[in-house]
Amino acid sequence: MVASIANLLKPWTPRLCAVRWSRYNPYYLEPETDKDVYKIPDTELSPEQKEEKELKTTRPIKAAATSITSSPFNDPVISKFINMMMQDGNKVLAREIMTQTLETIKRKQVEKYHRAPAAEKEAIECNPYTIFQQAIENCKPVIGLASIQKGGKNYQVPIPLKDSRRRFLAMKWMITECRENKHRRTHMYEKLSQELLSAFTNEGNVIKRKHDLHKMAEANRAYAHYRWW
Amino acid sequence: LTCSSGRTVTACIYSLAFPLQLLSRQICVSSAAWRKNLAAAGPEKFSEEYIKKQVEEFNIGKRHLANIMGEDPETFTQEDIDRSIAYLFPSGLFEKRARPVMKHPDLLFPKQTAVQWGEDGRPFHYMFYTGKQAYYSLMHDTFGKVLALEKYQDSMRNKGLFTKDTRQMSLTGSRWLLKEELEELLVENISDHDYTRFLQLMERLLSMPYCAMEEEFVQRFRRQLEVQSSKQEIPAVQHDENGVAFSQAEGRRKTAKASIKLRDCGTGSITINGKSYLLYFPVLQDREQLMFPLHFVDMLGRFNVEASVEGGGHCAQAGALRLAVSRALLSFVSAGEMESMRQAGLLTPDPRVKERKKPGQAGARKKFTWKKR
Repeated sequence: MVASIANLLKPWTPRLCAVRWSRYNPYYLEPETDKDVYKIPDTELSPEQKEEKELKTTRPIKAAATSITSSPFNDPVISKFINMMMQDGNKVLAREIMTQTLETIKRKQVEKYHRAPAAEKEAIECNPYTIFQQAIENCKPVIGLASIQKGGKNYQVPIPLKDSRRRFLAMKWMITECRENKHRRTHMYEKLSQELLSAFTNEGNVIKRKHDLHKMAEANRAYAHYRWW
Repeated sequence: LTCSSGRTVTACIYSLAFPLQLLSRQICVSSAAWRKNLAAAGPEKFSEEYIKKQVEEFNIGKRHLANIMGEDPETFTQEDIDRSIAYLFPSGLFEKRARPVMKHPDLLFPKQTAVQWGEDGRPFHYMFYTGKQAYYSLMHDTFGKVLALEKYQDSMRNKGLFTKDTRQMSLTGSRWLLKEELEELLVENISDHDYTRFLQLMERLLSMPYCAMEEEFVQRFRRQLEVQSSKQEIPAVQHDENGVAFSQAEGRRKTAKASIKLRDCGTGSITINGKSYLLYFPVLQDREQLMFPLHFVDMLGRFNVEASVEGGGHCAQAGALRLAVSRALLSFVSAGEMESMRQAGLLTPDPRVKERKKPGQAGARKKFTWKKR
């Protein structure tokens, strides 16, 4: 009896330890926590989705992470942002800051809404989640720079960025900007809400930083052919 | 009954004038029997009549064993045999393969091919001198099928009946034979390279449009993968004095252990170690984790949870409770919902634990300050 299939399902340490490894065997698949995905009847699935579904019935699935739930309030972008803000593993504090930020954004927008004349009321966005998503979207750089060494000199070469890298840079810039460049007596949620609201309207230091990166990439266009991938 | 130990114990009571193979009765099977020395290794170590005799002895012995244990000889399965042997010959040995074993001779003796050549010394198979006749003849046959399919395609094209959307074989839910399984099938040793080439040829066969014609040939080399949801243990539904249905389950995460009782009352109260869940878990994330399985199956207000949890930190305890609640819910939920819960990752115990600190480093990953000299 081939024991290797049964061995694939146990918690697993690789024989040759790579630097990046996980306790899960690579045989395990990622979980899908969204309830609505399972409510779609079989008739409306495309052939690839049907194949994927059949594959999932035969493969073990990893456990869902502790920060993920099936609730509609669970947002992967917000979870990622909370994790990036977290210091020394203090998730409680990071989450607290995030909720306070969203609350502050909502308060500011609602104040603006009540003060605005009737004609402009519809244009004001009050949902803090959409503001957050849009702000991060506005901060994402389109193109990035990589340092490539050629002929003894290091050149900054413009390269395309992956989606995950763009999102990471946008969030990182937002957090570092709020931590370093603002007055130290203001609370983090205060700083964040100000920066997010200005990013929503394409103003502010983070947007400026994104534009600087774009200008550098444009300036170094000549070296674009140094990229080999 | 054979004892599979490392050494051969041969009871040879006759003098050396008689040939050893005919008259020595091997009480134990040597480790040479475990090593697969197959095919063109030479004349077989166990002749066919010998193995037939072993099979008869095994069958008779099985009936005797059933009689000894007082059970019906007709319906005596291998599990019963294992159980009886473990009862009659209790062994304290740690190595499982060293314990007394009684199995069908086909499982114990390695498969051997019959003698490959006739009396004149001429081999029967035309590929004998390749060394791996079964493997190469298999590759030859498979490629012959590829060529036959191409010829069929050409004939269809000539007739004008060529279509690409023919019936496709369903390959999801099955996997290719592993290298060991293929070796067992061919009764030959093959190398990794040979195995890879075999898989490539089969994939090539499957990439052709009319491959459904060769379905049974391909299915011989495919094994069904078992459906994972069938492996879940569903706790039994019990009823307490008032007739309320409840189920019990346990869950673990890191060092935290939780055990819960899920009652099918109308209220949705959750009590942990005697306290309300709002007092026990002041953090919202932990409470969300508690509610996750109930929210996923839309049964939030239906159940009462009485939980006891110990060990670990607050996140580990919440994770342990989540797993326990998901498992307890299995007895109240349909099979389709159980599969959805499994695919949502609710039923897998989280294997992540704290990584150990290594010598020569400050922590699990952190290194000491690197000094150039």
